[in-house]
Amino acid sequence: MTTAALPKQKAPVTRITAEAVPAQAFADLLDGARLYELWSRFAFHDIRQRFQRSVLGPFWLTISMGTMVAVLGLVFSTLFNQDVAKTLPYISTGIIFWGLLTSFINDGTTVFISAESYIRNLPIPLSVHFYRMMARNIIIWGFNMAIYLVVVVYFNLTLGWSTLLFIPGFILFLINVAWISLAVGVLSTRYRDIPQVIANVLQVVFFLTPIFWSPESLPNRPAFVVLNPFYHLIEIVRAPLLGEVAPLLSWGLCIGIALAGLGFTAWLYRRAHARIAYWV
Amino acid sequence: MAHISIENLTVEFAIFGANSRSLKNQILSQATGGRVMAGARDIVTVRALDGLNLEINDGDRIGLVGHNGSGKTTLLRVLAGIYKPSGGAITIEGRVGTLLDSNAGMDMESTGIENIYLRGYMMGMSRREIAAKFDDIAEFTELGDFLRLPMRTYSAGMFARLAFAVSTAAHNDILLIDEGIGAGDAAFREKARQRIESLFDRTPIVILATHSEMLISEFCSRRVQLEHGVLKSAA
Repeated sequence: MTTAALPKQKAPVTRITAEAVPAQAFADLLDGARLYELWSRFAFHDIRQRFQRSVLGPFWLTISMGTMVAVLGLVFSTLFNQDVAKTLPYISTGIIFWGLLTSFINDGTTVFISAESYIRNLPIPLSVHFYRMMARNIIIWGFNMAIYLVVVVYFNLTLGWSTLLFIPGFILFLINVAWISLAVGVLSTRYRDIPQVIANVLQVVFFLTPIFWSPESLPNRPAFVVLNPFYHLIEIVRAPLLGEVAPLLSWGLCIGIALAGLGFTAWLYRRAHARIAYWV
Repeated sequence: MAHISIENLTVEFAIFGANSRSLKNQILSQATGGRVMAGARDIVTVRALDGLNLEINDGDRIGLVGHNGSGKTTLLRVLAGIYKPSGGAITIEGRVGTLLDSNAGMDMESTGIENIYLRGYMMGMSRREIAAKFDDIAEFTELGDFLRLPMRTYSAGMFARLAFAVSTAAHNDILLIDEGIGAGDAAFREKARQRIESLFDRTPIVILATHSEMLISEFCSRRVQLEHGVLKSAA
């Protein structure tokens, strides 16, 4: 416990015993979070990297999603004979958050696999790679939110106090996508079929979930909407941004899923985190 | 004082055959009770380290030797906290740095300057720490204006110089090195040797896994030999 060679650096004492390995899962998550300087820098680096030598850079993300939103909005408002001013804001917010959700989960499947050379060679907490992935996707989401701002101004959306519900809604949304992506990250590292399964499932869920279509257009809500957790997850962030209030059922379900999911992921990470270095 | 205490350390890990890694086989083997598909669960457990006991004190320069697969790299990874023990305990006093793969954390599309930072961050240095050492690193590489170019334009030797210069810039209490270090042409090799010497001088504990007796006689004060994951001799 005495001082090390450099006077300013304290020598940390680490004791690793075989029995204490599962308990270190939480220390790993905390130590990783403390290295925010490291993972936020690498998250920005990832984005700069992706658009190196491109003139518009990350605004390509905004442009590609904006085009998709505009086309889907026009097509579906014509198909269902609905007002564009109602359809387009609905679709744009839905797509922005669906995009955030899927990129979280899809990137989650490769979060450890793609960091293999770091994991096997550097003494940094595993969770750093997970936080880096989260930060990267939140930055991308920030660029996509520009679309929402354009929509608000263009369609002159009426926002009120209920819009503030977006903040707790977004936190709840992030907690849920975080536990899902960490869980699929661990499972995908062990079972290499899971990334394919997940990508497939998400594609199907996209059509089952009211994102580019509204459940209001149906006479009564089918079970795949009411019981669809993704619907409620999108609803708690979408409704406030459209100046509406999400039903209490959605809030309740999302809180319930978050608690159950955090429990499950904690159990899984505790069991598996020490083996990830062998699996990658 | 930097110190490492290894008590009865055992590391085991399961190696999955190409078969057992797939979910399908796992499920099928559940369904068939693991009898028909007995061959699918060909999980082999490897005991990479077996009941290792070792005390490493401040000032020790350990040369870790042993044939391929004797557990040298596994031991370094356990000390780095990458692999977790399945039995026994280790106690480490001091900040641990690694030179296991000097290319880890490098990005070919980024410039040399950016890579000095990227690799520095990954080795646990802060922005200020890297900035303070930047001139020293840049000068040591002798790459000049090439540092402003993406790493993909570098030759293998230039790449190795940069990786070496950054990797040896960090300051830690305990340094774990895998295989030989040093890079480049003859003139650079002499410079590299001096840099390694100064790195060793300022690091309280160095553990160097190598096959080179020359490196050991030059840099190391103790010699630890592993064989099949068991400590054969420690002098």
